Amino acid sequence: MRSLAKVGLGLLVVGLGAVAQVELTFWSAPNPPQEVFWRTMANAYMALYPHVRITVSPIPETPTSEAGILAALAGGVAPTASENIFIGFGSELMRAKAVVPWNAFPGWEEFLQNRRISATIKAWEFPDGNYYIIPMYVNAMLVAWRIDILRELGYERPPRTYSEVLALGERLKSVYPDKFLWLRSELEVPTWWQRWFDFFVFYYAASKGQPVITGNSITADDEAAVGVLRFFKTLRDKKLLITEPLALGFEDGKTVMTVLGPWAFPWWRENYPELVFGKSFVLTPPPVPDWYPADEPVYTFADAKGIVLYAPATPEQQKAMWDFIRWVFADPEHDLVWIKITGMLPARDDVGTNPLFTSYVMEQEPALLPYAESIAYAVPPIAHPEFVEIQELMGLECIYPVLIGELTPEDGWSLWKTLIQGLLR
Amino acid sequence: MRWQKELRGWLLASPYFLSALLFFLIPLGWSLSLVFFEWNLIAPVRPFVGLGNFIEAFKSTRVHHAFFNTYKFMAIFVPGVLAASLGLALIVQHLPRLKHLYAVGFFLPYLASGVAIGLVVRGLLSYDSPFNEFLRKIFGEAPRWLRDPVWATVVISLMIIWKFSGYYALIFLAGLQGIPRELYEAAALDGAGPFTQFRKITLPLLYPAFYTVLVLAVGLCFGIFTEPYVLTGGGPRFATHTWQLEIYYQAFERFRAGYGAAVAVFNAVATFLSILVIRGVVESWGARKGFR
Repeated sequence: MRSLAKVGLGLLVVGLGAVAQVELTFWSAPNPPQEVFWRTMANAYMALYPHVRITVSPIPETPTSEAGILAALAGGVAPTASENIFIGFGSELMRAKAVVPWNAFPGWEEFLQNRRISATIKAWEFPDGNYYIIPMYVNAMLVAWRIDILRELGYERPPRTYSEVLALGERLKSVYPDKFLWLRSELEVPTWWQRWFDFFVFYYAASKGQPVITGNSITADDEAAVGVLRFFKTLRDKKLLITEPLALGFEDGKTVMTVLGPWAFPWWRENYPELVFGKSFVLTPPPVPDWYPADEPVYTFADAKGIVLYAPATPEQQKAMWDFIRWVFADPEHDLVWIKITGMLPARDDVGTNPLFTSYVMEQEPALLPYAESIAYAVPPIAHPEFVEIQELMGLECIYPVLIGELTPEDGWSLWKTLIQGLLR
Repeated sequence: MRWQKELRGWLLASPYFLSALLFFLIPLGWSLSLVFFEWNLIAPVRPFVGLGNFIEAFKSTRVHHAFFNTYKFMAIFVPGVLAASLGLALIVQHLPRLKHLYAVGFFLPYLASGVAIGLVVRGLLSYDSPFNEFLRKIFGEAPRWLRDPVWATVVISLMIIWKFSGYYALIFLAGLQGIPRELYEAAALDGAGPFTQFRKITLPLLYPAFYTVLVLAVGLCFGIFTEPYVLTGGGPRFATHTWQLEIYYQAFERFRAGYGAAVAVFNAVATFLSILVIRGVVESWGARKGFR
């Protein structure tokens, strides 16, 4: 009897060995639709390849994705891979040897072809010639306008230049004294990543996409930067820009303009169905200085994030994750699922031309079309490893003092440039 | 058996020792091992910088702001929370019934999430809140609650007072319940009114509770994080910047764990010295007044 039990146990062990699974963990962005997409992909993949087990969970935001990932790496509980990595944080991870290059895996070139990403990927090359991030999406930041309110004010289209914006603001105040043009309470808060959604949006528009920092040098267009600061200051002085918190703002029509990413649309659909593209709001590139030619494209900031593969994962896990990622991106239908679930545009060279995407966007999500058109003019974040301090100082020592009138726009900009010199080494 | 008694004592105390080991001693040892390195917790090499992190922290204006802001918060929080918690304790003490229910009710804010409270306060003080609309209607304008350095400090202090009053009230309540009723009866017979009874009996006999609450409140001022993080981000212009915000910013946003640990050591030293000074002052005052 005992020997029979031993044989049974042996068979069980052998059986378990035969179906040994590769355990992978994937951290999605802490944004429910993105989590849904990755769960959908993981479940479909596991159905095809039962020996792979992929656990998808959102990045623990404590309170930023970057801090959550750093804590996980330090604590030895990092996932196999995660998304939501922008190039600045990727540089930090690369410098710490916490990530491995995707291009070291066999089939990289084929992957680039399959995903139609050969042009887009160029902006993601690291100084050592490797690719540590596979871009997932590129959100060109646009400006949304409450066209329903603008029409009430006699406008058929949103303003294009600073002067036109100011004129609209004055008209708005004369008709609706309690409304504001723009709510941006974060302008008075130094949180580094908030600069992505105010200063950089307007700066890239004014400077035709001139990088602020290249390598270890400041390469910014000073005139454009000072012009943006002066524009913000004028808006605030004329009480067109409100920098105190409001309960809502754009959604309930207390303000008529906002810097917007496409991630807002699924939320709006659920909570503000009255906000309809073309009817109640429209999208434009950011306002530009008065001299800016009307027939030239306008640049903007690109909220671009991608996927990294972590070094602590075993070679077997890394290979299995690469296979999974390759599978996800081999089929453009998966990118269509991404658009449908998240409302964001995938980072593909053909996102604006592939009929698979364009037909869906035109029929179902016309608000995404302006985003697709702007991708070519969207500039990714600063890639310098000191991005946090550089952007924190911008809010603290430049934007805030300029807004409250402590410094002139010229002095604020000059001070910021002086302060970050020490970091650019 | 003596050894059995001792073992039982150690067993009963073990949850505290274990938690102290896990959440205090090991992190403390880990922090101390970090302070001499410029390390981001994940890089394979940790450059040794000697006392460099301490020197940098000592010179840092961010740390100076955190240091002085702590005393600013203390100046509002400590008297405020002492008065509020003592007031609550006196109210509960004099309730005819359901004392425990009220005591628990006042304690609840202590359990509430700082983030949730922060969001509620942010809503209450937003530009278009009914409260601000009311102020604008009456006075023509409303304060920029979270954008003005003074008001932001006051708002955060009041939030912390609200959160901790119920908790400290329990300490005062225990002290009040320990005062024999006979003392009040005798004082009343001698013609002492309620105010005199409060001043001559209640306050002196509550000295141990005052002492405990004071030390706890002073220590708490060095650990403020959630409220300014949610409401002001430490602004405007560092007006609400705290030690914990600075440690968090350096360690988890700039990824400078070694430097963050050095700031944490300064924070610990400042906390220890401040409590020592406050204790010394209060103890000598208590001794002079014959409270101990």
